[in-house]
Amino acid sequence: MAGENEERVIHVAVVGQPNVGKSTLFNVLTGRNVHVANWPGVTVEKHEGYRRHRGRLLHFVDLPGIYGFSASTLEELIARNYILSGGADVVLVLVDSLAPERTMYLALQTLEITPRVVIAFTKSDIAHSHGIHIHHDAIARRLGVPVIPVSAVKEMGIEELLDAIIDVAEGRAGRREPLRIDYRELEPYVREAEKLVSKTRLAERLPARWIAVRLLEGDDNLEELLRREGAEDVVKAIHSMRIDIENIFRTRPEELFSRKRFQYLYSIVSPAVVRVETGVRERSERIDRLFSHPVAGPVLSTMILLAVFLTVFTINTGFPLNILLHEAGMPGAAEWVEEHSLGAYLEEGVDALIDAANASLPEGFIRDIVAGGIIPGVGAVLIFLPLIILVAFFLAVLEDAGLAPRIALSLHPILSRIGVSGHAVFPITLSLGCNVPGVMAARATPSARERIRLAMTLPFIPCQARLVVILAVASALRGIEGLLIVILAYIVAFLVFAGVNKILYMLEEEREEPELLLELPPLHRPSAKVVWWLTWDAAKHFLAKAGSIIFLLSILIWFIVSYTPGLSPAASPRDSIAAAVARVFAPLLAPIGLEGDPAWITAFALLIGFVAKEAVIGALTIATGKPSAAEAIRSMGLGDAQVAALTIFTTLYVPCLATLAVIYQETRSLKIALTTIAVMMSVAYVSMILAYLLFTII
Amino acid sequence: MPTTLDALPPGKTARIIRIDAPGRWRNRLLQMGFTPGSLVRVVANHGVGPIIVSSMGITIAIGRGIARRILVEPL
Repeated sequence: MAGENEERVIHVAVVGQPNVGKSTLFNVLTGRNVHVANWPGVTVEKHEGYRRHRGRLLHFVDLPGIYGFSASTLEELIARNYILSGGADVVLVLVDSLAPERTMYLALQTLEITPRVVIAFTKSDIAHSHGIHIHHDAIARRLGVPVIPVSAVKEMGIEELLDAIIDVAEGRAGRREPLRIDYRELEPYVREAEKLVSKTRLAERLPARWIAVRLLEGDDNLEELLRREGAEDVVKAIHSMRIDIENIFRTRPEELFSRKRFQYLYSIVSPAVVRVETGVRERSERIDRLFSHPVAGPVLSTMILLAVFLTVFTINTGFPLNILLHEAGMPGAAEWVEEHSLGAYLEEGVDALIDAANASLPEGFIRDIVAGGIIPGVGAVLIFLPLIILVAFFLAVLEDAGLAPRIALSLHPILSRIGVSGHAVFPITLSLGCNVPGVMAARATPSARERIRLAMTLPFIPCQARLVVILAVASALRGIEGLLIVILAYIVAFLVFAGVNKILYMLEEEREEPELLLELPPLHRPSAKVVWWLTWDAAKHFLAKAGSIIFLLSILIWFIVSYTPGLSPAASPRDSIAAAVARVFAPLLAPIGLEGDPAWITAFALLIGFVAKEAVIGALTIATGKPSAAEAIRSMGLGDAQVAALTIFTTLYVPCLATLAVIYQETRSLKIALTTIAVMMSVAYVSMILAYLLFTII
Repeated sequence: MPTTLDALPPGKTARIIRIDAPGRWRNRLLQMGFTPGSLVRVVANHGVGPIIVSSMGITIAIGRGIARRILVEPL
């Protein structure tokens, strides 16, 4: 492309505090042509996108959502280093029109580092209905940078914002120097520290006054940089200034500095913001009081989450509505619900494709791998996609409406009893759909140790793949007993999840009490556009990460079932690699009274379930040659106690390989991934034997 | 008489005197504008579980353990 070489590229870094509507605006600015990668060496995502405007190519980089540049979290350090590196021509700071005072703080901190700033006030379309009126020009005049009100949802102010970015990039608007906040009685210290700092090499790259202020506030990262260049004396001198300040003012320096910064901020923002009481706040606070009530809160939240899941389960598999209808004496309706579930439709589609492949391709290796490996592989991914989309959709609604953090806070007291905070609610909820996004969501938990504990225990939460297997196995039991065993499986799974979490928590030295610090954004009607974006992002994520793993594993299953240990095609699954391995493990099932054919067939199915849980059913039917799992189980002559024991084992044993891969990705530790397998296997094995004994006695 | 944030009833306004919560939480509170000298209003406090406070247009939920380490002067 010849034109692209002449086109001027303007690099724009986008920063904003959490909940200011950054990803929504980012999507509008880049037209959703977003490239997602990780920041080098860490699991924090980096989004990039482009936009052409007035003959320039604007390159947007979305920095992590942060509250400030103290570098006390990984996200803050990433954002700060990017801005300090000078890679951006303009820094676009987003300020929330509904909370201008608090969210302007980041803009102020950015202006202390660089003068090339444009400020956008988001959600300006709903500010008025919340009784907030902002005089943007007054703020722009005081700060000397463009201040543009925008609305991503209504796409208002976007052109003006792009114009302002270009003007600042090309020097037609904006400041020349970083902002100098007047720190008043702290100024003598700042000036003294600035003098010391300006002699260092670090000050050749970064603004000396900013370094001075940060060091006075206490900044390990900058101290380390100075020590590395041999400026230990500067670090020491500023350390003693910090002690001085604390002795004189009887307050920690970092508290004094943020207080001064906020005072300066209020002096600019307060005259420019008018608030009118609208009743919105009153209503919203009544809801907040309800969610934080020790009884009403958890009940309400559990009801919301249960409603979401029963809806998703029913659409996806027909369960539990089908069994309820059946018990209510409406078998016809029950069957209809089952047949018209998404899962049933998809399965039919995949089966039709396999038949088509078998009919149209000539017999041989190609047909075997297409009909036996590739189509079922793609099918396995597709079967999960609608489920992921449904769960993501409902959670997106909760999130965009502002209900998500309120649910988290209401369940915090209950969750802290097992050593995790309210932040764990969403990883747990997501895990009921699929463990993979559940483990990924644990990222947002502030405590690193809690994150690891969650990654290790979330796989105990039964995902939909396991529900499908549990349902199939339970269908060998008739009527209400089948339903009871399913409910029992969920109860056991949650008890084990809670118990193992508690044990891991108690094993920690220097335990920290699970704590919660959450912003509660104003409640509002969810926007269809935002909900769709959040949903689609989750689906894409799943396809990219889990999709490829599940696909490859399906081909692996096909291989170990279709070939003998001597690597020649197996005449029957009984001669396959998987069967050979299963026979080695079969004696382990002796404690629940299984031996001979039923033992190795069950071991075979469970082994294959390690790769992908839903494959247990397929393995049972292949090995026995029966059309359904229920018939397969009956043909092996398993008793009720054995069925119950196997249901419990299937629910609890090893995470599937896709989840295992994600646990490894998220924790970057093979030890944690392997420990997870060991813990799950032993817990599942013991629970299985206990369940067998219990049911034999009954 | 100074007291801690977790002891304030709903509707009460107070001025923050000192934040003694561990570093990670203190930092986040400071960045959110909950600095010494600023005013907070208690939205909800049921005696157990997180308490909800608002300040300068934002509402946050604070775990009781953190709230116990925030010293305030009721107004």
